[in-house]
Amino acid sequence: MTELTVIREIAPSARIAPQATIGPFCVVGPDVTIGPGTVLKRRVIVSGNTSIGSGNVFEEGCAVGGEPQDLKYAGGKTILIIGHRNRFCRNVTAHTGTEVGGFLTRIGNDNVLKDGAHVAHDCYVDDNVFLGQNVLLAGHVRLQAGAVIEANAGAHHFVTVGRYARVSGSTPVRRDVPPFTIFNGGGIDSSAPAVRGIHEEGVRAAGISKYEEKELKNALVELFEDESALQTKIEQLINLGIEGEVAELCEFCQRSLKGVFGRYREQFRGVAPPEAFKYLPPEISADLKRPTL
Amino acid sequence: MSNISPLAIIEKGAQIADDVTVGAFCHIGSEVKIGPGCAVYNSVTISGKTTIGANNRLFPMVVVGCTPDETDQAGEVAIGKANDIREHVTIYAGQESPTVIGNNNLIMIGSQVGSEAKVNSHGIFANFTIIGPRSCVEDYVRTSGFTMTSNEATIGAYSFVAGYAEANSDIPPFAMMQGSPLRARGVNTHNLKRCGFGDDDIHLIKAAFRELFNGTNSLPDEQTIQNLENSHGDNIHIRRLVNAVRHTMQKRDGAND
Repeated sequence: MTELTVIREIAPSARIAPQATIGPFCVVGPDVTIGPGTVLKRRVIVSGNTSIGSGNVFEEGCAVGGEPQDLKYAGGKTILIIGHRNRFCRNVTAHTGTEVGGFLTRIGNDNVLKDGAHVAHDCYVDDNVFLGQNVLLAGHVRLQAGAVIEANAGAHHFVTVGRYARVSGSTPVRRDVPPFTIFNGGGIDSSAPAVRGIHEEGVRAAGISKYEEKELKNALVELFEDESALQTKIEQLINLGIEGEVAELCEFCQRSLKGVFGRYREQFRGVAPPEAFKYLPPEISADLKRPTL
Repeated sequence: MSNISPLAIIEKGAQIADDVTVGAFCHIGSEVKIGPGCAVYNSVTISGKTTIGANNRLFPMVVVGCTPDETDQAGEVAIGKANDIREHVTIYAGQESPTVIGNNNLIMIGSQVGSEAKVNSHGIFANFTIIGPRSCVEDYVRTSGFTMTSNEATIGAYSFVAGYAEANSDIPPFAMMQGSPLRARGVNTHNLKRCGFGDDDIHLIKAAFRELFNGTNSLPDEQTIQNLENSHGDNIHIRRLVNAVRHTMQKRDGAND
């Protein structure tokens, strides 16, 4: 058997672990770090200041580490960090951060990004997230652990999708999605997207105790039965004394209610969000503009 | 020509300015002209009779000048100056007249520009925007994700189209369009202020919109347009709006000639 020549272009200064596989027609830029066990199949382009952990799979046509599609980006060496064991299906794109928005885009561990999904500048995707085909995340979006976004859904700037929440297909998400809920609308009946129920699989997947699970479901039913009275219902629940997951849920909803148009993260417009200070090395985050909370 | 990757394929006859960067695995056809200061990143395909002006950037996996599927003759594309064409964008070539893209546009990931479409300048088209064949997009247009414009529709200047919108007919200038069916929800004041419109002009345009559309998706009657023209016809913005609405009303079903 003859050995095949793999045609590819890897910049000499790129730091690539010896156990990583880089397939034909891939291009790897000069400031890229790739961890062991990561596979770049064919036609994958990794550019910019990007670091990729171990065990990731990039399928055909992915382009990660491109510069942000944002007019406030001034050409700095902003960063994209990708964790471990993620799967990037065909034509997935992810961009680096902007200087003003916190310098960093971060994708955590064990995520699945289906064909054509896009992670924009300054997004924070936590762990175990599923992004369906052609899902668009606008800038500064935070997806908490276990969130499921189905095909063709799109998230507005500064939206937060809570833990184990589920956004149905083709849904425009213009405000925060509370954890453990199903969020849909738009589509055929063209009503405004809203919380439509409990994401039972998500509650199960979160791995909380049976007692807490029951409490959480009761709280969800009570809170989202009539969303117009959400604020008073949260206050009622807090007066009764709540803890654990339910307290977290109430806190999430209250923060969203205080935000602009139901988006808590709008207050980080023009400043770096707290996540940036958590994940960035201190020599970079020292120069960032801190939010006044 | 030192900025051209040895792994790029450039056919004989392609005219590429000296300082153009061409990345690996690009394929540039024989009738392509690329102006100075352009950056063509990796895996870009440029075919047909395509002319690209100065200082454009073509990001990875962009395809420019491919033929719409029913024909296989090489078509024409003309791209102006300082456009950013992002990853996975497809720009189809025009057969009878060229597909035209003006200056300073930002066309985001996965968007498509149909054959013979005319895109003017300073537009921002978010991801997966589909600009239909033979449609016309005027200056300073903003579209959100998954916007689709129909064939031969005109998207008026300074307008904003919300996400998931299906523009089956013309969009008036200055409008903020949203919903299904699409309707004028108001005036794109944010964009107008950015583009240096005065408060008086914005006020006038707002009043005109209230008279003409009033939140509905139907076209106004002739009398309303006439009244508006009589009262504020001397203002260039109102005249532009009136002309656009008149033009739409002359077309069959609001879109097709």
